Formats: sequence, C-alpha cells, structure tokens
Amino acid sequence: MKNIFALSTVVLKESVRRKDFYVLFVVTAVITLMMGSVNFFHDSQIDRYLKEICLLLIWISSLVITITMAARQIPAEKESRTIYPLLAKPISRTEVLLGKFLGCWLATAITLIVFYAFFGLMAMSKEHHWPVANYFQAIWLHWTMLGVIIAMTVLGSLVFSAVSANVTISFMAVTFILLVGRHLDQVAVRLGEPAHSLLMGLFYAIPHLEFFDVRDLVIHNWPSIHWSVCVKATAYGAVYGAFFLLAACLCFRRRALN
Amino acid sequence: MKVTEESPQIAACRAAPVLLVEGLRVEYPNRELRQEVKVAVKDLTFQVRQGEVFGFLGPNGAGKTTTMNVLLGFTRATRGDAYLFGTNVREPIARQRIGYLPELTYYYKFLNAEELLRLYATIFKIPRKKVEHLVDAALKLVDLEHARKRLIKTYSKGMQQRVGLAQALVNDPDLLILDEPTSGLDPLGRMKVREIIQRLKNEGKTVFFSSHELGEVETVCDRVVILHEGELREGGSVKELVEKYNCNLEQVFLRVIGYHP
Amino acid sequence: MTSIDVNAAQWKKRPLVAVLCLPLLLVCAFCLATNLSLWFQSWPGNRAESANAMTVAMGDARRLFADAFFVKADAYFHSGMYPSIYDNRQSFQTPHIAEDSGAMKGKNTGDEANFLGPPRNWIDAFGRQFYPSVHTHLSEGGANGKEEEGTVGEILPWLKLSTELDPKRVEVYTVTAYWLRRMDKINESEQELREGLKENPGNPQLLFDLGRLFSEARHNPVAARNVWQAGLRNLASLPDKDTDQNKFITEQILAALAHQAETERHPNDAIGWLERLEKVSTTPQAVQHWINVLKGQKTP
Repeated sequence: MKNIFALSTVVLKESVRRKDFYVLFVVTAVITLMMGSVNFFHDSQIDRYLKEICLLLIWISSLVITITMAARQIPAEKESRTIYPLLAKPISRTEVLLGKFLGCWLATAITLIVFYAFFGLMAMSKEHHWPVANYFQAIWLHWTMLGVIIAMTVLGSLVFSAVSANVTISFMAVTFILLVGRHLDQVAVRLGEPAHSLLMGLFYAIPHLEFFDVRDLVIHNWPSIHWSVCVKATAYGAVYGAFFLLAACLCFRRRALN
Repeated sequence: MKVTEESPQIAACRAAPVLLVEGLRVEYPNRELRQEVKVAVKDLTFQVRQGEVFGFLGPNGAGKTTTMNVLLGFTRATRGDAYLFGTNVREPIARQRIGYLPELTYYYKFLNAEELLRLYATIFKIPRKKVEHLVDAALKLVDLEHARKRLIKTYSKGMQQRVGLAQALVNDPDLLILDEPTSGLDPLGRMKVREIIQRLKNEGKTVFFSSHELGEVETVCDRVVILHEGELREGGSVKELVEKYNCNLEQVFLRVIGYHP
Repeated sequence: MTSIDVNAAQWKKRPLVAVLCLPLLLVCAFCLATNLSLWFQSWPGNRAESANAMTVAMGDARRLFADAFFVKADAYFHSGMYPSIYDNRQSFQTPHIAEDSGAMKGKNTGDEANFLGPPRNWIDAFGRQFYPSVHTHLSEGGANGKEEEGTVGEILPWLKLSTELDPKRVEVYTVTAYWLRRMDKINESEQELREGLKENPGNPQLLFDLGRLFSEARHNPVAARNVWQAGLRNLASLPDKDTDQNKFITEQILAALAHQAETERHPNDAIGWLERLEKVSTTPQAVQHWINVLKGQKTP
C-alpha cells in the first residue's frame, strides 16, 4: 500500500506541475464570467443557464484532464524509460498500475474541488443559497465516474500502442456512452438480427456513465437523490472500475517491457 | 560452455550466490518470419558470488540486455530461472537489496533529485527517519547536493547520469547492477564511476556490470563472462583468461567472439 | 580566396537576403489580398458580410441550434425533465411554453406526465432514480414545488439565444414576449416584439401579440385595434394564408377584435368581426353562439 501511495504522489506532483489544469481552469472561469456578464432582459435573478454552461465546461475540462492524464501514464513511462529504474525496485507491476490509478483519481479530486468551488461561488453570488447535499452528490458521482474512466483509459493505454489513439478512442467511448448509452436498447428494438442482439449486448455490457451525470440536480435545484441510490451508483462505479483495473493488471503483468 | 560448477553443485550453493542464472532461455516471436522465434539467450548458466566485481561482456546483440531484463523482471524467461539472493527474480522482493543503473538514464523530469530519491527510498521501505540520511549521503556521493532542489529537466546529461547513480545507491544495495555505466560520460565521469565501483568493492558489495570498455573491465573486474549470439562462450577470472589466451582482455574478447583480423 | 572563404562570405550575405525577402513577401501578400477581396465581397457565400457573429461562425447551421435552444427553453420550463429524441414525444410535439403563450397551435396528445412509460429494464429503472419523473412547470412551482413565479425567467436566455441564431423564427419572439409579460416586464416584452418586427416586417403573429400587449398591459385599445387590423391586412396578402398556423392567427386576431369591440360596447362591430371569424373558425358553432349572445344583448 505504501508503494501505491508513493507512486500516486508522483502522479499528483506531475499533474500539479503541468499546465493543462491551469489553462482549462482559466478558460472555464473566463467563459463563465463572460457569460455571466450578459444581461438578459434586465433580470439579475436568471442564473440557471450560467450554471449549465459552467457545469458543461467543468465536465469537458474534467474529461480532458482525466483522459489525457490517464492515457499517458504507462506509455509515457515506457517512452521516457522511467519505468525501468522504477520496476528495478521491489515493486510489483500491479502496485505500479494501482499507484497510477490512485494518483490520477486523487488529481481529478483536486481538479473537481477547485472547479466546483468556483462554480459554487458563482452560483451562490446569484442564488444566495447553497444546497450542500445536492452539490456533494453531484461532485461525488462525478468523481466516481471519473474513477471508472481512469480505469478504462489505463486499460486502453495497455491495449493501444499510441497515446493519441487511446485518447481519441477513450473520448469517443465516453461521449458515446454519455449521449446515447441510455437509449441503446430503444435503438436496438428498431433493428433486425443480429444487430439487435449485438446492440442489446452492448447496452448491458457498457458502464452506464450517464447515471453519474446529475448536473440537472444542481442546475434546477431538484430534491436530492436518495442516499441509498447514491451508494448503489458508487458500488456500480466501483465494480466497473475494479473490472477495468483487473483487466489492466492482467494485461500488464505478463507483458515484456521492451 | 559453462564456467561455473555442474548442476548438483549449483543446487548445493543456491543460497550462497548473490546472483544465480540457471539454464536461462529467452525467445521472442520473430515479427518478420512469423513461423519462427528468435532466441535471444540460449541456456545460460552462471553465478556471481558475494563481494566480487563481475563483468558481463559481449558484442551488441549478444543477449546481455535481455539477460539483465530477466534479472530485473522486465522480461520473462521462456525457460530456466534466475535468482537474486536466493529469491526468484519473478518476485518483486528479490530486488529489495539491489541497485540498478540503466544504460540510458531518464527520470521523472518534473521531480527534483531529492524527491526522486525519496520516492525510491520509500519503495525500498526504508524507515522515514533513515530516508533523509540516505538521500543526503547518495547526493553527496555524486556531488549533487547543490542541485538537489532543482527539477531534473534542468540538469545536464552528466548530472542526470549522476542522479541515476544516486538512485541506484539510495538503498545501500548489496548488489549493484550497472548496464553500460560509463557510456556517454566524459573522462571525469568515468573516473568517478570507477572510483565508486572500487569503493563498493572495498565495502564488500557485489557489482555486476556490462560494458564495452574492456580496458575498464580489466581494471576493476574480478571475473567476467563473454556472451556471443545468446550463448555463454567463455568465463572465469580476468587473470585466468589473460593467462590462458596469453593476451590482454580485449584480444581475448575478440578471439572468443570469432573475430580474426 | 579559398573555397572556405567564399562559403563564409556567402553565409554572411544570406541573413541580409532573408531580411530583404520579408518585406517583399509582405508586399506580395498585400497585393494578393486586395485582388482577392474584390472577388470575395461579391461572392454570395461571403459570411463576413453579416453583422451577426453567429452567422459568420456557423452559417445556416445556426438554424438547427436555434431550434435546439427553443426546445432547451421548454426543457427548462419542465426543470430538465424532458423527453429525448428516443422517448415518446406525443405530448411534447408543440413546446409547452409556446402552447401556453398561444404562439403555436398545440398538437400535443397523450399523457404528459408519463412519456417515459414503464421501465424497460433494470438499467432504465435504476437510471430513473437520478431525476424526478414528475411533469411540472416552472410557472407552477417547478420540480421542487417551491419555485416562485419569477423563476420562469430561467427560460429566457435560451429563447434569446434562439432568436439570435435564427431571427426569422417568429414564434420565439412571441413566446419570449408572452413570458416577459407574465413577469410584468412590459417594456422588455414590447422591445422584444419590436425587434421581431424589425427582422420580420409586418408579420401578423407579431402584430397580434403587440396588439395584445397594447390592449392588456398598456390599456390602449385604439393602438391595439390598429395593430390587429394591420395584422389582418398583412395576413390577407400572404401567399400562404391558408396554412394551419396562419388560419390560427387569423382566428386569434378576429376573436381579439371582437372581444375588444364587445368590451367597448360596440356590438355591431363585434358581430361583424365574429361573422368573419365564423368563416375561418374550426369551431363555428361556438362563434355562432357568441354572435347570438351579442344579438340578444342588442335587442332590448
């Protein structure tokens, strides 16, 4: 466990010292503030569109940061040959992979805290109230989803040889799941065999990331989700995360580095 | 040709050698000819004893790096086994008492030397109280104390090589594995590496290293093995080989690999 | 001079040549630009002529986005609880914000509250626990039941964006104006309609809504009547006056004029408008009944 934490701190330091996060945060903040300065019919109480745009930017930024960070971990170690002195130490490949995963996941937690803090301040300045439970659920489920995506992308980094290919495929997969994952069964109904069975199989096999997209909870001030549902969603994310990580470990364990 | 004792004797002293390679064979799929496999190492057997400086020699493509990759767990052997301090190299714990300096040293460029050494020390499970002391000692040994807080990406090539040496020594290893330790170094750097190897030898540590610098090998090594086309062709103490062939080590090497000018 | 010296001299001259090339290249680029700009100004596909940044950026594709934002406003009206393109949209064929405002003739059928139907599988059932599955309107308390009347203004940014993207889409102006009126923003409502008329001169639907604003909010029946009558004239001159939507507007204008005349105690005028209404109305019996009532009032 100590090795996993030690490696995760390296990933954290790397993410803090790279410029991606800062650039995306500044872009998000500037666009949000620009949109916030627009006057719609002299009504200062209108704020949901602003919350929606800000959250959309936060989601895009978090996905960009997460996927690019997770995709480069192992290939970059191989390419820069830093993996050789590392694996020459008493550390297993499973520990390396878990350390990378944990580091990425913690880095995304910091990213989300910073982004949502900005979002919260912006929303509070307009609404003058802060539904803590809603915010917590939105951040928690968002973070859980990013955990699944990190595990999926790390697995992808061991399957696809090029980082760019992995980033592109991971982005496409995540976007596809978020946009149409929920409706695949409805699309399948309209198709004949074998497309129907294939699509239904895909519907049940993919991790339904859309469960974790509860932005509307914060935007429209919906009543909080029942906590038991949150726990179930977390367990669902954990199962998929564990599945992808296990597959990645099996892939990485026997693979020759050269 | 085998340079060490026969198999029953190897079994008897399995616990004693620092490094034991037994019937090692490594095959790679040949991508150009799909039906065939490429044999990188053919049934290699040798051992390295406590306190000796052991030279691992061979021309390019002889199988030295592949053997080292097996010893460090980067590659799995097709057949045969290798042991470090009596533990199979497949177990990560086998690498607890070793230090490794790769031929090309690249380290996390976004870390500084101190952070890098602290990370590796943590992986060696060195108690936190001792970590700072060991990091200081390693940095002092390679003359990098003044640059300990600077990011590695700002280091010159020589400084990066020295960080590599520092990370290989941070756990005070009993066995140091060096892959072409002096390649790319200026004369001063080479001298420094030689001094460190000599110092480690005096401290009773074991050093296993591959090199093309045969003059250097002759100076510091107790024993050597010479690999060619994946097979062990010759081995023994430097003195024995020089006497046997009646020439210097470089000429011994050329004759063993079948080069006749 | 050795060959090495010659090479050295050439190397020394090269930076000077490069420096001289830079202004030459700039002059060439300027000449080409002046030549090309003449052609580009007259080219029909020149987006840069538009003052609208959206048009420059998106071209005609902006109309698709305008439609999406109009639907987005309706989704906001339902606190985000809205059917996707894969769901049953029978009860959402006409956006409810438009139907409520009277800007569009409603085509909605079916159960608004149950467009999702029963859960199709466990994934669908589990997914529904993440959002409220109750049909609510922002103007009636919203998803949490506590929304104030003014919260309905949350739909306005999307409507504004929709009109920015497609200024020719009339119903968006009328919907925006209607909800602004409901929020007591009379000046903003009138401004929105006038902007619509600027983009769509003489549009009957916009004139009808402007008349409503004059009548109900400004209490200026004369201005209202003038605007409505102008709307009727424009409708009659339209080549597509017999479309459902135009018939719907005609009905609304005639009914409004009749109602106005009735309020001003001019039953003859009212009956005149109603007789015209009876000819185009989808419910002539109801109009006839109204006429009879007015005639009954007149008799004593």
